[in-house]
Amino acid sequence: MLTIEEIRELIKIVDESSLDEFTYETNGAKVKMKKDTQYHEGYTIYQPVQTDEKTQEQMSVETMPVQSDSKQTETGESSKKETTSDYDHEIVSPMVGTFYAAPNPESDPYVKVGSEVQSESIVCIVEAMKLFNEIEAEVTGEVVEIMVEDGELVEYGQPLFRVKTT
Amino acid sequence: MQSTRNKLIEILSNNQETYISGQLISERLNISRSAIWKHMRELEKDGYVIEGKPKRGYRILEFPKKISENTLKWGLETEWIAKTIIHKPETTSTQHIAHQLAQEGASHGTIVIADEQTKGKGRMNRKWHSSKNEGIWMSIILRPAIPPHKAPQLTLLTATVLADVIMKETNIKPYIKWPNDIIIHNKKMSGILTEMQAEQDQVQYIIIGIGMNVNQDIKSLHKEIHTKATSLKMEADKEFDIRYLVQKILQQFEKTYELYLQKGFPVIKTKWESYGFRIGEKILIKTMNHEWKATFSGIDHDGGLLVRNLDDGKMEKLYSAEIDWFRENS
Repeated sequence: MLTIEEIRELIKIVDESSLDEFTYETNGAKVKMKKDTQYHEGYTIYQPVQTDEKTQEQMSVETMPVQSDSKQTETGESSKKETTSDYDHEIVSPMVGTFYAAPNPESDPYVKVGSEVQSESIVCIVEAMKLFNEIEAEVTGEVVEIMVEDGELVEYGQPLFRVKTT
Repeated sequence: MQSTRNKLIEILSNNQETYISGQLISERLNISRSAIWKHMRELEKDGYVIEGKPKRGYRILEFPKKISENTLKWGLETEWIAKTIIHKPETTSTQHIAHQLAQEGASHGTIVIADEQTKGKGRMNRKWHSSKNEGIWMSIILRPAIPPHKAPQLTLLTATVLADVIMKETNIKPYIKWPNDIIIHNKKMSGILTEMQAEQDQVQYIIIGIGMNVNQDIKSLHKEIHTKATSLKMEADKEFDIRYLVQKILQQFEKTYELYLQKGFPVIKTKWESYGFRIGEKILIKTMNHEWKATFSGIDHDGGLLVRNLDDGKMEKLYSAEIDWFRENS
């Protein structure tokens, strides 16, 4: 979770960067920063930070409920599941890119809910700029939840799978 | 053995105008006359043509065109790349072999090269037609000390390397279709497939697969790709020495890679944009849920695609999308 210090730090970083806008979203909370700048070349980059999702942060910066788009239901669901689904490890994306559940469209997915994985099992591919990154489980256990859809764009640090380690 | 043979080739190639006596070679390499003769026989197997005249000595007449570990190493001016070369006359896919070798601990700079691939691999296991002795089918194993999220930059880097070599050797200007296809006259001539094994913050290894059509005629290109693919020979109207091209690519790769490590991506970006395909033009972008038109503005400081949305005029950065580059502007 983000502390006031971390938010201050973020503001500082964003301030010094060429970013126009910065959005950070976690369970039910969203931080959005926007600069009043004359740059016409500005663009948006998302850079989610991985945090402990269990506590809802009270933020002094603009905090608002997530808009009622598809993300809300997802986030809502996953937070509900948090209390029920039994996991102790999240496999996160090491980079921004497209998530592929299978090596190619004709194949079965690498893993399904219930699959047993070893630390070196490949669980998915994340592709960015045509670099295909085979993601390993890095833990031994059972996949209890798949948090993204095949073909979905994922962010750096975004959780992809939840695993109950053994 | 290997170094003796390389030295022998060096001596012979430095004396191409005249004969060099067996005696002199024997002294320079500190081996017997019969050992020299054995080495000569081996060189002939690799495709060297060597003339031996009694009382005058030896002279090299022809260098091999075919690829082998020996012929690739000779004359290759690199510090670390291709110090280990695995050459296969025929294989399923060099990517496949390279993955196995990397998992067994193959070192940074190891290359796998084949005369022919029976299951050449493209993106998402799409097939790549890799016919015998007509193209470059090669994989480079790298173990770079860069964070995984920067690794995609290496695919753009590799594209600039290929473009530089093509430009220099043919005088034809190639274009790079983001992120890394080489295009000449709107047809694909070369593709790059980069695969990585990484942990959250550390790259285990990266394999850069290069497929380049070199000496194919229209006949030897598969029918279904006639309208989309081309070769160096078809564009430049002459045959190319594949061994020579591979060496040029490896040398240029090493040079560019070192430059990248020292100076970062900006130097690569500038080079890339000088070859950029359709910069400033309209393209159609597709992701899983959307399809939209945009103007391709260039690439960002990290290699991402910068496009200006035609609907709202906003600049966006993309790392992954299907792009329709060839649709007519509308």
